[in-house]
Amino acid sequence: MRRVPLSLVASVVVLFGSSLLPAAALQQSAKGGVGDITGPYEVPDPKWPAWAHPYPKPGHIWGSQGGVFAESPNRIYLANRGELKLPDTVPPNFPGNWGFFNQQAATVPIANMVNCIVVVDGNGRLIEAWNQWDTLFEWGRGPHQVYISPYDPERHVWVVDDMRHVIYKFTHDGTRLVQTLGVLDEFGDNDDLTRLRRPTMIDWLPDGTFFVADGYGNTRVVKFNKDGKPLLKWGSRGTGPGQFNTPHGIAVGGSPPRVFVSDRGNRRIQVFDVNGTFLDEWPGIAPHSMMMSADEHVWAVDSISDRIVKFDLTGHVEYSFGQFGTRPGYTWAMHQISADQEGNLFIAEVFGGRTQKYRPRPGADPTHLVRGRSLLPMSGSAGN
Amino acid sequence: MTKTIALMLLLPAALGAAASAQGRPNFSGTWTHASSVPPNYPGSNGWGVPSPTIVITQSATEIAIEAGQFGKQPMKVVFRLDGGDTIWDAPSSSQSGNTAIVKWRTKASWDGSRLVLYTWNTALNQMRDILSLSGNTLTIVRATEQPGPSTNATLTYAKRP
Repeated sequence: MRRVPLSLVASVVVLFGSSLLPAAALQQSAKGGVGDITGPYEVPDPKWPAWAHPYPKPGHIWGSQGGVFAESPNRIYLANRGELKLPDTVPPNFPGNWGFFNQQAATVPIANMVNCIVVVDGNGRLIEAWNQWDTLFEWGRGPHQVYISPYDPERHVWVVDDMRHVIYKFTHDGTRLVQTLGVLDEFGDNDDLTRLRRPTMIDWLPDGTFFVADGYGNTRVVKFNKDGKPLLKWGSRGTGPGQFNTPHGIAVGGSPPRVFVSDRGNRRIQVFDVNGTFLDEWPGIAPHSMMMSADEHVWAVDSISDRIVKFDLTGHVEYSFGQFGTRPGYTWAMHQISADQEGNLFIAEVFGGRTQKYRPRPGADPTHLVRGRSLLPMSGSAGN
Repeated sequence: MTKTIALMLLLPAALGAAASAQGRPNFSGTWTHASSVPPNYPGSNGWGVPSPTIVITQSATEIAIEAGQFGKQPMKVVFRLDGGDTIWDAPSSSQSGNTAIVKWRTKASWDGSRLVLYTWNTALNQMRDILSLSGNTLTIVRATEQPGPSTNATLTYAKRP
């Protein structure tokens, strides 16, 4: 079933107003908040997280932000693509984010790979810095995204490194690297299940089976069992059903479970069953990142419109907000979104070079808030 | 008797090593790209664009490849043939015109008669070249990585007499 392209809908709304829309387009746009920048959220505090304001190393700043994952309201993982050197002089009102300069994206300067994974509390104060793993990210561009499976009682932390073609699985406290998927610095072809090529995102089924969007290079999805053994793959480079151009985001959910894949280069989301059978496509959106919310909706961050879009599982747009920019609340290349169970939303920006925390506005419509999936309680052996 | 047994044990290994070495071609020579005009290579910033001419010098321990993109100065890159890394620093101009020090790393491995060459740098460029030889034709299967989508190409070179 084809849907009306979201970008087209937004353009029509702006040009003509919603009263002129055909029924199908109206269905897609009626609840979309075109022009609404922060939606149900307050304007973020530009000094969040406190850990990075000022940055620990004088004269430097954190750079491109690949990922963020809110395990709970008071434990948030930040995946940083290294630090950048600041100009010799910065204006007194410099808020601490690279995008403030409005020049080049935070991915352009060569970054120093330090403080790549840090954990902060709800106020952004540092809890842990996993500097022991910084060397893993040299020769690449730093961590691409970070996750915890909601179904893992040990709450392992998964970090994707696209440029080095691997996915790391750490213990919850970061003291041990327990598994590496792929082969470091080697990439395979589309039919090679041992090697990945520029993987991007992960999501899980309740039994621990997981799916990897792989990714910039292999343009496929790989399904793994709970132990990390590859089971099957689907997809190839192309524009047809089941083909991809940079599958960059993935979300799993529904009943029966479905796999939602952001086919970014083809500007669509494709829907599959858990064995890769094509079911549907939702055109007109090119998400960097997607997440399955606690109420079983797909939230996607669109790289074209810079909007955060809420879909039901049949592809209807229920709500959207957001706008490109570098001031607080605006975004420049949202790369991963995550939300805690209280509805606080976190957005990592690769070009803007910051991660913003969006707190719910008092009285906000609760159906417009993003709520993260609850995680299984931690088992006693899992450490902190 | 002991010497004979030892010889019998060692002989297959020695023969195997010799056969393996024989199966590994020497890519030395000056090679000319099949096309004299720059191809429409899908990468960006010139990364991966094939050189019109490459000069290869191969010894038992290393292979050196001197190549340049169309219209750019050649660059000589060395790969060790024992599986080890070669690492060096080089200045590089960024898009903004600033000069930065970029770290480079290379690594080589044999896959039968094919030679697999990896090149990385901290400006977020990667290249994997798989070299194979057939008579006077050198084929390079090239895969490049940059922050955007990956690219693939098969390049053909003829040996200059």
